[in-house]
Amino acid sequence: MTELLDPTSEREPSHRPLAKRPADITGKTVGLLDISKPRGDVFLDRLQAALEKKGVKVERFKKPTFTKPAPADLRHEIETKCDLVIEALAD
Amino acid sequence: MEIPGLEVKREEESLDLSYAFDVETVPTLLRFENGEVVERTVGWNRDIWRKITGVADLGEGLPEHRPGCGSRALDFPKPVDTSHLASRRVTIGSQEDDIEACIARGWSDGLPVVPPTPARVARMLTGTHRDAQEIVAVIPPDLAECTVEKVAVNAVLAGCEPSYMPVVLAAVEAACTDEFNMHGLLATTYFSGPVIVVNGPIAKRIGMNSGVNALGQGNRANSSIGRALQLVIRNVGGGRPGGVDRATLGNPGKLSFCFAEDEANSPWEGLAEEHGVEGDAVTLFCGEGPRGVVDQISRTPESLAKSFAVCLRTVAHPKLVLGFDAMLIVSPEHASRFKEAGWTKQRLRDEIYANLNFPGAELIRGAQGIEEGLPEGFKDATLPKFTPNGLLIVHAGGGAGLFSAIVGGWVAGETGSKPVTRAIT
Amino acid sequence: MHDTVALEAAGIPSVFVASSEFVEAAEAQSQALGAEPMRVFVPHPIQDRTDDEMRDIADAAVDEVLNRLLNV
Repeated sequence: MTELLDPTSEREPSHRPLAKRPADITGKTVGLLDISKPRGDVFLDRLQAALEKKGVKVERFKKPTFTKPAPADLRHEIETKCDLVIEALAD
Repeated sequence: MEIPGLEVKREEESLDLSYAFDVETVPTLLRFENGEVVERTVGWNRDIWRKITGVADLGEGLPEHRPGCGSRALDFPKPVDTSHLASRRVTIGSQEDDIEACIARGWSDGLPVVPPTPARVARMLTGTHRDAQEIVAVIPPDLAECTVEKVAVNAVLAGCEPSYMPVVLAAVEAACTDEFNMHGLLATTYFSGPVIVVNGPIAKRIGMNSGVNALGQGNRANSSIGRALQLVIRNVGGGRPGGVDRATLGNPGKLSFCFAEDEANSPWEGLAEEHGVEGDAVTLFCGEGPRGVVDQISRTPESLAKSFAVCLRTVAHPKLVLGFDAMLIVSPEHASRFKEAGWTKQRLRDEIYANLNFPGAELIRGAQGIEEGLPEGFKDATLPKFTPNGLLIVHAGGGAGLFSAIVGGWVAGETGSKPVTRAIT
Repeated sequence: MHDTVALEAAGIPSVFVASSEFVEAAEAQSQALGAEPMRVFVPHPIQDRTDDEMRDIADAAVDEVLNRLLNV
């Protein structure tokens, strides 16, 4: 395991920062990314219904296979269309 | 080997015993009394070994003497002790590329950086005699204390060599003074970034460039020293574009802008010397990108000084005076005009200033059909372009080319920044 | 988890939902990637659940999922 020395003032944690979270869901588009394992679609359908009931816009996406990261095109499409993403369902 | 009556210590794969006892040749025989080495011999000499071990028939049948061979410890120098380094350790994921990992954590200025391993940082610290935990400066905007070690970590990121450390340290100190106003410089929408000018013999010793392409690419010292300062401000100070840094356009020099003044060929005293600092020194100036001055015809110093003046008028805007500073970089061919005429630097400065006085009527808002300008109240005044100390003059560049350069500064005076010169120790 | 790490790097808050079987694997992946993406775990098993059971699991997970996406 490579160790590096932190070049910062160390006031923040050193791991990769997460994206800034919005305060609430109003007006946001949520992407649901199906990793294509069986039963995941039922789970996501239900999440979609729950989100839509809260007035949230939902976009659905599906990976070609769960064995590899999403292709760059698909990721780019998701990044363009969505503010928030839920990826499911791994088992 | 078996020596009756003596305990033989076997050295396994590690070379710890060799490091501990400075073993450079094998075999080496050490005799201990109460844990201290009291006798030592190198190579094989039967008589000496018999004497030291007290074993009378030691090595019977062996040759009388043989020289030793070099110890493996010389091929594998002792690993640098990094346990004293205080910076937080960041473990990189096993699937992460180490350079990408640095970039992903926000430590980069947009270009790849050198991953700051403990060994690299320890090596960087050999470039300075200062204690690693000594506080160098308080870095804006976060006002974070910065140790020599933190400067070293960022110097590694930047690609510096250890010998550059004294220059980087002096630059960090100078940049974080109140007079330089690094915080203001960062937070402005203006173009400028910190420009480092190096004086003194250290420049040549560490391989800096004061000649051909002095402001350009290709010199490790020039580029990495400027970069290290900006990385300290980014990483320790927390000042980065989109955050506190709100420059509308910025300039390419904000990646790195550092060069050495050519003193050997200069007709004048160096910048640091003018500011009262002899020998190795840095001067920090808030500068935008350089702009070229072409004058390939002037033979007289008066004419060339006038060329400089009309070009200097355009710093920020021809109608704006007293608001902005500038640095004039005179190249060797241009400088020779003044050298031949015996002009001191101050004579040149005076001549330039004499050519930079303007009637207020030309400068006020609306004059010349341009809405920008000075308030109406200045209509009847005569005003100089620069404040008395607002024009720096340095000498640098290749020997061929009748071109000099102007580096426009930032806001002059109390709300802006003053150039700061600092000795390199 | 590569996807959520990449999305976070692109500025999109993300959360990864997996069965509880995945807890250790997710931790190992996270360490290997040098990132700490948000994850929610739902009860194992998944494959032999009925549709109704899947829907119940989804209902139970909604709040926690939203929690990871918002600045609560």
